[in-house]
Amino acid sequence: MRARRPVVAVVAVVTALLLAGCGAGSRTPAATATVVPCDFPPPPSSVDVNVLAYNSSAIDPFTNSMVRSCSKDGVELHHEPIDYAGQSQKTIATLAGRYGTYDILETYGQVVPQHAASGKIHPLDGLAEKYGEQYDLDRLNPAMREAMSYEGKLYAVPMQAQVYVTAYRKDVFDRLGLQPPRTFAELRDVAATIQREGGIRYPLALPLLASSDIATAYDSALGSLGMDYVDRRTGRPNFDTPQAAEAFEQLRSLMPYMDPQVTTFAQPAVQQQMYNGSAAMAIMFSGRMKDLTEPENSRFAGDFAFAPPPSVAGGPVLYNTLSVDGWAIPENTDVDKDLLFHMVAAAVGPESSKAAVPGAFPAREGMVTPDSSPFAEAQLDAIDRAPPPEPFPWTPRIATAIPSIVADVVSGRTSIPDGQAQMQDVATKIVAEYRPIG
Amino acid sequence: MRRREFLGLVSPSLLVMLGLLLFPLYKTVEWSLQRVNYGEPGTFLGLDNYAQALSDPRLGRAVLFTVGLTAAVIAVLLVGGYLLAVLVNGLGRSRPWVLGVLLVSYVVPNVVGATMFSWLFDSNFGGVVNYLITELTGQEILWFTDPWANRVMVGLNTVWFMLPFAMLVILAGLQGVPPEVVEAARIDGATGWRVHWHVIVPSIRGVLTFVSIISIMDVLRTFDQLIPLSPQAPQIGNESIMLYIYNIAFQDGGQQLGLGSAINVLLILLIVLLLSPFIRDMAKEARQ
Repeated sequence: MRARRPVVAVVAVVTALLLAGCGAGSRTPAATATVVPCDFPPPPSSVDVNVLAYNSSAIDPFTNSMVRSCSKDGVELHHEPIDYAGQSQKTIATLAGRYGTYDILETYGQVVPQHAASGKIHPLDGLAEKYGEQYDLDRLNPAMREAMSYEGKLYAVPMQAQVYVTAYRKDVFDRLGLQPPRTFAELRDVAATIQREGGIRYPLALPLLASSDIATAYDSALGSLGMDYVDRRTGRPNFDTPQAAEAFEQLRSLMPYMDPQVTTFAQPAVQQQMYNGSAAMAIMFSGRMKDLTEPENSRFAGDFAFAPPPSVAGGPVLYNTLSVDGWAIPENTDVDKDLLFHMVAAAVGPESSKAAVPGAFPAREGMVTPDSSPFAEAQLDAIDRAPPPEPFPWTPRIATAIPSIVADVVSGRTSIPDGQAQMQDVATKIVAEYRPIG
Repeated sequence: MRRREFLGLVSPSLLVMLGLLLFPLYKTVEWSLQRVNYGEPGTFLGLDNYAQALSDPRLGRAVLFTVGLTAAVIAVLLVGGYLLAVLVNGLGRSRPWVLGVLLVSYVVPNVVGATMFSWLFDSNFGGVVNYLITELTGQEILWFTDPWANRVMVGLNTVWFMLPFAMLVILAGLQGVPPEVVEAARIDGATGWRVHWHVIVPSIRGVLTFVSIISIMDVLRTFDQLIPLSPQAPQIGNESIMLYIYNIAFQDGGQQLGLGSAINVLLILLIVLLLSPFIRDMAKEARQ
């Protein structure tokens, strides 16, 4: 019996450390969360409100403000830490049945049409009108409101947006006399120069993870070439067009300047390349840029500068994706929707929006200025010249169906024409479930 | 014990088993014959899901990868677990401490352990193994995109976290071998590996069978460690059956729960098929 004690002790210590590590993410709003006005009439009986929102430096300020400020008068808000993939799964699950687990959902523009078309989220126009003045909702960016709408109705209150921004090592660029690239041709030239003369073997870093990010990258390239996934007028998928082929060729043309394992890199791996100095340029969502500017993350923090992403072929639209996040109310919640709307509207108030900069680009106008964010100018330019959103219920389904094919084509395992044919086939079947092909 | 008492004590376990094992199994079989989306009643399809699954070359690749990984890992577990158990069995007062340290990899959650393990091979996060290999050979190995390099890394990780279990069970078996039998073999002139091969191993055959059964079931269900270790698994042919089911049912286009269930049923049949020699062996031993 005595001999077992050390074994038990070691295992117990390790388990305790692991449990402590797992629980390191707070289950309660950060004590530092901004307090915002959240004024609602006290409900007749106590109410529990479950909030589903993934954890990131862009979303947390809003979520934490909501949970901290609106938990009062018999109302208790609950928010469990979760990652983006987990949130996506739980969103589908909670909206599926007659009764859901969550009462407030953090959602994003690409999936709003899908949930709205199937009647799973509650239209908010009436509530927005009723409480608009109280929460100053007129100050929310109209384009972001539009991104949260479907067929003219508002289905989520916009919170913040993400766009691609180019981060680059100004010290390296200055030493080699380079300027931030404005087109993919310039991007290749700059990368080749750094590779040749700058001592960085793989100067360019893009998030091209084969299971997800690569589809966003392809969509961004396609959007910069003026092409949507699906023709808005006829409903015919565009993957068999010359632009669809060119988007692949342009992405492939960047491969010699990137790590050979780039198709396994999500955004954190790209950040890591920039922290390490193993890359000199990265194009990723603006929410990731704040981390680059923090000295505790990288010895190069003071050397990073920011620019809008390049255009693929020199056109006015940039290699970019405008992703708008917002708060939606599930149709299947049994909590009073007026009460929930107070919380949603409070979370996008001026105080929390201001506190979220520069991690987020808030929907509330006037928050992002060169004084409040080191990459404000790049963000503002990138938002102005982003491809238009594709607010259709088939868009997210196509986006989740094609990453594997895109990865095969970009990595050279599948030819461009074969990949185009496969994607056209997949998209045609999906769109056919919604409308006949014209 | 009276029948009523017996039923009273057994029924909670039976209820739990019915709820947590039989009902999900029944639903899996039912869904495998339907087209199913979340929260919607299924539409009967007959055997269409099975036909679709069996005609997908990706399933064939997943089966090949999973069975190959299982065979390689089980071989290493049995040999490595035995060697380690013999070494630990020979230790004195330090044995409990060594055992405690060896068990760490077993108690670390798979996905956490695999993430830390992947950093050993990832230059972006230090990559100690990469660094050493490049220093020694001048070669750069693409652990995450080269299919065979990735298979080796996944295999090493699987062995790393399963070896303590194999070692622990085999160690218990070794402690049950009567010392006089070993002593008698030595008096008869057997030395070194002959004692192990002809005396100890046959004595703990049941234990080795048990390790094999549990390990086969575990490795055939390989899933979460592939998320950090093989982010490009479908492209390089390193998708396990469970990862394939997850991708089909929830990721690629989403919500193909019927198709995912059909592949689940096929996986259960595969597990039974691979375990049948061991189960038959155990049953035979039990009868004796």
